Amino acid sequence: MNLIKHWAGQLDDYVIDLAWSPDGDRLAAASGAGPVMVFSAASGATASPLPGHEGGTNCLAWMPVVPAAAAGSPPSETAGGLPPPASVIFASGGQDGAVKFWDAATGQHTGTAALGKSWVEQLAWRPLSQKSEVRNQKSEEISVPPHASSDVRSLPSDLCLAAAAGRQFTLLNADASVRHTFPPAPKTISALAWHPQGGAVAVAYFGGVCLWDAGTFAAQKEFAYGNGIHALVWSPDGKWLVSGNQDPSVHLWLPAEDQEFHMSGYEGKVKHLSFDHSSHWLATSGGREVCTWDCSGEGPEGRDPTMLPHDAPVCAVAFQRRHGLLAAASEDGALQLWSPERKQPLRATMRLPAPATRLGWSPDDRLLAIGTESGAVFVLRCEL
Amino acid sequence: MSDAPIPVTVLTGFLGAGKTTLLNRILTEQHGRKLAVIENEFGEVGVDNQLVVSSEEELFAMNNGCICCSVRGDLIRILGRLLKRTDRLDGILIETTGLADPGPVAQTFFTDDEMRTRFRLDAIVTVVDAKHILLHLDRSPEAKKQIGFADVLILNKTDLVSPAELDALESRIRRMNTAAKVHRARNADVPLSAVLEVGGFSLSRAAELDPKFLQPQYPFEWAGAYMLPAGNHKLIIGHHDHAHEPGGHDHEHHHHQGNANELDVVIMPAKSLEEKDLAAARDAAVLVFADWENRVKSGEAVAPGGTLHRLLLEAGDGSYPLKIGQRGVYVVFEGCGEDPLHIQVAGETVRPSWQQDFEHNHSHEDDVTSVGLTAPGDLDPRRLNEWIGRLLQTQGADIYRMKGVLSVKGSPNRLVCQGVHMLFDGKYDRPWNGEPRSNTLVFIGKNLDRTALTEAFKACLA
Repeated sequence: MNLIKHWAGQLDDYVIDLAWSPDGDRLAAASGAGPVMVFSAASGATASPLPGHEGGTNCLAWMPVVPAAAAGSPPSETAGGLPPPASVIFASGGQDGAVKFWDAATGQHTGTAALGKSWVEQLAWRPLSQKSEVRNQKSEEISVPPHASSDVRSLPSDLCLAAAAGRQFTLLNADASVRHTFPPAPKTISALAWHPQGGAVAVAYFGGVCLWDAGTFAAQKEFAYGNGIHALVWSPDGKWLVSGNQDPSVHLWLPAEDQEFHMSGYEGKVKHLSFDHSSHWLATSGGREVCTWDCSGEGPEGRDPTMLPHDAPVCAVAFQRRHGLLAAASEDGALQLWSPERKQPLRATMRLPAPATRLGWSPDDRLLAIGTESGAVFVLRCEL
Repeated sequence: MSDAPIPVTVLTGFLGAGKTTLLNRILTEQHGRKLAVIENEFGEVGVDNQLVVSSEEELFAMNNGCICCSVRGDLIRILGRLLKRTDRLDGILIETTGLADPGPVAQTFFTDDEMRTRFRLDAIVTVVDAKHILLHLDRSPEAKKQIGFADVLILNKTDLVSPAELDALESRIRRMNTAAKVHRARNADVPLSAVLEVGGFSLSRAAELDPKFLQPQYPFEWAGAYMLPAGNHKLIIGHHDHAHEPGGHDHEHHHHQGNANELDVVIMPAKSLEEKDLAAARDAAVLVFADWENRVKSGEAVAPGGTLHRLLLEAGDGSYPLKIGQRGVYVVFEGCGEDPLHIQVAGETVRPSWQQDFEHNHSHEDDVTSVGLTAPGDLDPRRLNEWIGRLLQTQGADIYRMKGVLSVKGSPNRLVCQGVHMLFDGKYDRPWNGEPRSNTLVFIGKNLDRTALTEAFKACLA
């Protein structure tokens, strides 16, 4: 397997987040200092950077594609407005306490939700329900919303963005208006994870996780956990909810069965988690190895994890969206591709000029975007 | 990742003590250095072009209730974010609220793996408002804790109190924290070198403890050295016989503890009246005072050497035969009592050739104190390890800081150590290089039992 450099770009500062457009045409990259750049996935070409947030940008989230079935009316009837397709809209959160919406095609700032004084540190779009699931391949069936982003009447009503700023948790509409403000969490919100079906969103803070219903805005469940939580992820089948913890450990809940499991023994806090598409493997950081748990069937308890060795602490992990490759990076600048199920799991190794900060597979899994501490952005092509 | 850890300075002190003034002073004078300030949510740092982040203090307190496990979640979050930049910061200043507990702040830099590798806690600097601190000390456990935790104490607003008040205040806070460096200031005007690059948690600088401040308190409050001939003499306590004769030890004691009809006395031979010989006798007496007492009734004999005599008095009086085998200097150490002490040779009261009052540890005006332990010789590594382990486990919550330089049997190098609550860090540094092997250890904390610590420490001597 070969990793081939597709293109490279450069931000003005540390790459703090990356986001692919759902059609895979664009990659947004935010620098810790604030500016956000949008690259063409094909060429790496970029326009002038978007200003992002004063004091610094923290996170990005690209609005999911709205398929035809979910759009209000067929595109042919609304052709007159020349609206941007929904897949050009992304949101950013920053230290100015705001969530900003951007149009990647025009480079315009299209909306702002001011959430207060606290940093906006978590953003996550609600996954669209199964019937309107995001399409992986581009096709004519994918529609564009019939109006500009300031008029989103035709967007599906379930489309919304979860945003956390300090202890405050808010659901925003696609036009940046506030849909609902939840009661403040007991401590600063440290992670968000939508249930894969989009019906609820899990909100983590020191002390536990609360599962909020996205429709009724009621708390469905609370999962107590007596320590800090750095990362939160659902298995794609919705069976497992997993936290990566300060203590350092990984905690797994089976919400449907009211069961929970605790996996400790990590060298350091667990800040990065990734499930593979089949909900079989859970990759975790927290040491000089990617500790990979087998979550099939009864789950990881009593099973030895597969340890995928790096030479320095692991700083990013990302499974492909639809395939089985795991990309993992460590603080020595190494990037490795793994197939955890294989006897010889290491598939490829590459050395980056600076440690990776973010890894993101393109929607078709063909490209791997890497943000680094030095501000460089690399997009690699993965060839068998 | 090859970057050296970024130094972190923590500023504590009550509201109005002058933390913000000091912070602004540091920022103004730090030309060319890129500092980030994490101020508390009420902060008002006002220097242009500085990276200032406001933080609401968020304690990560553990379910088990162990304060030694608590860290500051907001600092982990904010400092983690401050690392996400390409130009390296030269330093971090953290201004806490007046009521903050410095313990979890310090622990954040030792227990969190990322904080430990990327940052280096340089010092806790506590600003003390000379005018108002007495009020705070009497009312607030936080104020005492902030003094106890400090590496640097800035006695600020000195122009608002009289010199006598200032001296009394300084000696009081020095008793609470003997290991901190104390600076006086009017408007937080201390040199930056006093607050930056202090190395308060650095093992290599743990050895810089000033021994003069390590031994301010003793288990006795008076000592007198007598030239005594061989023969049968008498140790007289009380006012019978030669009451109020000059030459005796006759001052009033204000803080008597325990039974008024008991007086602890140790008589140590000394080679001479030279200072080093008297100091050796004093150090030997410290250890004897930590020993089991021998109860002695009036009329029963006392003897020089390693025995702690607990004299049982009758209405404050007692007379004890003292047999001296060899002519020489004998130093009598007296615990706390209210009755005068005399030595009679052939029925005549003799004057001590030298005498000294000691800062006795019974002045319990503050529950936060320092206990300094010193002893020449080597420590047994296994017993030392067991003792420190047990001590931190059982009393870690009350021990704010510890620092020490120890001589461990079998090692040519000095063992330097420092600790915060239950967290202990130690390593062997340079060889003793022929200088006398000795042990210096200081604990700063709340409700420390000096006698028990001394005794346990002594039991570790090889």
